[in-house]
Amino acid sequence: MENNNPLSPHIQIYRWHISSLVSISHRITGILNIVAITVICFWIASLLLGENSYELTNIFLKSIFGKFIIIGLTWSFSFQILSEIRHLIMDLGYGFELRTTKITGLIVIIGSFIMTVFIYLMGKQFI
Amino acid sequence: MVQINLPKNSKVQKGNYYQDKTGSKNIRKANVYRWDPSNGENPRVDTYEVDMDNCPSKVLDILNKIKNEIDPSLAYRRSCAHGVCGSCAMNMDGKNGLACTKPHSEIEGDINIYPLPHLKVKKDLIGDLSGLYKQYESIEPWLKTNTKVETTEIIQSKKDRKKLDGAYECIMCACCSTSCPSYWWNGDKYLGPAVLLQAYRWIVDSRDDEKKERLKKVADELKLYRCHTIMNCTNACPKGLNPAKAIAELKKMLATS
Repeated sequence: MENNNPLSPHIQIYRWHISSLVSISHRITGILNIVAITVICFWIASLLLGENSYELTNIFLKSIFGKFIIIGLTWSFSFQILSEIRHLIMDLGYGFELRTTKITGLIVIIGSFIMTVFIYLMGKQFI
Repeated sequence: MVQINLPKNSKVQKGNYYQDKTGSKNIRKANVYRWDPSNGENPRVDTYEVDMDNCPSKVLDILNKIKNEIDPSLAYRRSCAHGVCGSCAMNMDGKNGLACTKPHSEIEGDINIYPLPHLKVKKDLIGDLSGLYKQYESIEPWLKTNTKVETTEIIQSKKDRKKLDGAYECIMCACCSTSCPSYWWNGDKYLGPAVLLQAYRWIVDSRDDEKKERLKKVADELKLYRCHTIMNCTNACPKGLNPAKAIAELKKMLATS
């Protein structure tokens, strides 16, 4: 017999906290990064097609929208790296106390922005 | 399959408003999820004005007050009122917990009370936990031993007994399992934190002789590895236990055995 009783509300009502936010962001940035890597591959492949097509991508990436995407992806990679380190430590069985997860979660969130700025400045210097 | 939205028959509607009749100046509003199985309507959220001058300190006291003084049709589970039986597990202010141990002074603004998330509702705040109980049964939560002698105790050292601390205290209130997004989306296959903590409790018990078989049983991909350390379970546990760590220990045992 099919149960026609209603389903109680779940994600609509459940309160977010740092660990759950980091966890969902880890997934989202993971998907973003796959897309980013594909785009970067196309960019590199466009070198083979000659100077013109490379220039085209270059112009796009130097526009404000392009810069926004690059900085966004830098953040996405930074977040993924830090969050993955957090997960690796957890896989070893450490850092499961509530306080610790809160602190490591915060480190991941704040660290990802610091890392983005750091990478951006590093890139600036090399150019 | 991940379904973010609620099905059509589960969409929550605005419900009735019960105004305070005591003339109290110290009023708080309690928004309570209601569903009546007898009339085929969608669930609704009723709002009750509760006189806080004559209300004890816990969320369960508010519910008792509503049931006794305002609306006797409200249905919810409760028994011991001391955080031991686990009957009054529900979602308060967006977080799972026991209504009898959760002080309403910790909640800011209106007090939102819902059943445990992602369960089939039986009535009002009562969710159907039979799926979870079936999963609990599937891990065979009893001592299995090869010893033939049944007249003497099976001795356990203090060190081995200590391994059960943090696992045996579980009261199976289901706060953790129903807080877990992985359990929401894959509750039919993934065992969920409550049951896995119990599985762990029998696996680390030095008196049990079927550790290997038990480990093998939880090793199946969906039964264990759907845990992505979201930490909602540990965050919700009203007894301060750590199911996430127990699951991590199980993963570690499987990786090293």
